Amino acid sequence: MEAMTEDKALTAEDEGRLDDFYRAMEVESSRSLGYPSNAVFDYSDLYRFLHFPLNNIGDPFVESTFRVHSRSFERDVLRFFAKMYHAPEDDYWGYVTSGGTEGNMYGLYLARELLPEGIVYYSEETHYSVSKVLRVLALRNIMIKTLANGEIDYEDLRETVRIHRDVPPIILANIGTTMKGAVDNVDTIQEILRDFALPNFYIHCDAALSGMILPFVKDPEPYDFAAGIDSISVSGHKMIGSPMPCGVVLAKKKNVDRIARSVEYVGTLDTTISGSRNGLSPLFLWSAIRKLGPSGFRKMVVGCLKMADYAIDRLREKDIDAWRNNNSVTVVFPRPATPVLEKWQIAVFRDIGHMITMPHVTRDLVDELVGDIAGTEP
Amino acid sequence: MKQITVVTESSPGLLAQVSEILAERGINIETLNAETVQDYGVVIFTVDRYDEALVALRDAGVPAVSEDAIIIRIADEPGALARISRRFHDAEIRLRSVRIIRRDAGHGLVALSTERTERALELVKDVLIS
Repeated sequence: MEAMTEDKALTAEDEGRLDDFYRAMEVESSRSLGYPSNAVFDYSDLYRFLHFPLNNIGDPFVESTFRVHSRSFERDVLRFFAKMYHAPEDDYWGYVTSGGTEGNMYGLYLARELLPEGIVYYSEETHYSVSKVLRVLALRNIMIKTLANGEIDYEDLRETVRIHRDVPPIILANIGTTMKGAVDNVDTIQEILRDFALPNFYIHCDAALSGMILPFVKDPEPYDFAAGIDSISVSGHKMIGSPMPCGVVLAKKKNVDRIARSVEYVGTLDTTISGSRNGLSPLFLWSAIRKLGPSGFRKMVVGCLKMADYAIDRLREKDIDAWRNNNSVTVVFPRPATPVLEKWQIAVFRDIGHMITMPHVTRDLVDELVGDIAGTEP
Repeated sequence: MKQITVVTESSPGLLAQVSEILAERGINIETLNAETVQDYGVVIFTVDRYDEALVALRDAGVPAVSEDAIIIRIADEPGALARISRRFHDAEIRLRSVRIIRRDAGHGLVALSTERTERALELVKDVLIS
């Protein structure tokens, strides 16, 4: 029997539109300095898999009757991240997500199922998507102030937890805030929780960008399972780079198993937030891991940190007050003038702007940006 | 009557901007109160078409807070928000969420999401903005 579809060509007008779009993306992707997406990658050897309707539906550790999937690659990716984040061997679970938000949603969903009465504490510099997730999950939540560098204000957290010490705390810790790249210290947070002798608490880390930085620096802030966290979400399209947004979420398997009883509600063993899941992104991540490995990622991160310092030096030479947090590739400076924001896709929040020295950022780009900032009145 | 609050940097044009956005959609403002708190402009108003007004403001990029929140102003110091939280805790009123809207110049504006009852408003009457 013949296939029911037939090839049809695009019109010349449609082709022209795609060509224009391609040229625009070539320019825009090279000038994106304000968003943490690595624009340097080559996955052309994987393009042949675009011919298949890959779908990693459901749990990557449970076999499916649908066999057009890349689950074995996905499990390799998860194993790599689990080892890197010191997850308990054979006691971790996770999956390749559609991005950091889905990972945060999974972590907070798990927390809610374990501690249904819990209150989520998160800092005011937390990514806005977390507010949406809290709303979706109907979780009680209290926003905590931040310190000037973007870290959660530990005193404010202490005082707020003290009042609600009868309610289990769920901590959303930022491992690299969106605007300042600040890392909430999970050791200090746990000291606070221990001081109140709280028997039950849960720590989820939003490690969207810094989850691929801290494993490769000499003096990482505490952030992983070895530091006592319960789950972590990291983006795949940020430091690693990917044609489509993706990420990884990891959690302790014993916690995931504890909530397994809740599947009675939905009558399925599918433990992921999404049902149908992208089967290509695990291939991209797997390929990057195999090609670069820890030493390649380390080299990449060291290069990005050096570029951040270069940018700070150049900005300060022009009397622009630039700075960064320890182990962060996010360079913070006063909000530049509108033409600069438009040209360089610089993210701003109130009176600050930032550039993120991802692997595609070169000295020439930094020099040009600094020249533009210095040459315009904010 | 449900109220909407807009909190943004204080600017002489804020009131006119909000009025214009709503007028373009034919939404009538029924009550209105505008004031400056520290460096913020705060416009509190009620309208004849509540949901449409929220959509219009969102589309125009104007951050609006819906009736579901009580907005208070507190000192920017450790534990200030915790002390407010304590009042609700002691009164056994459940806070669904506590969100900092603005913070600078030594003060912060905070949105408390809870039942907007007289009892809840009484608890924060000394710091109440809207």
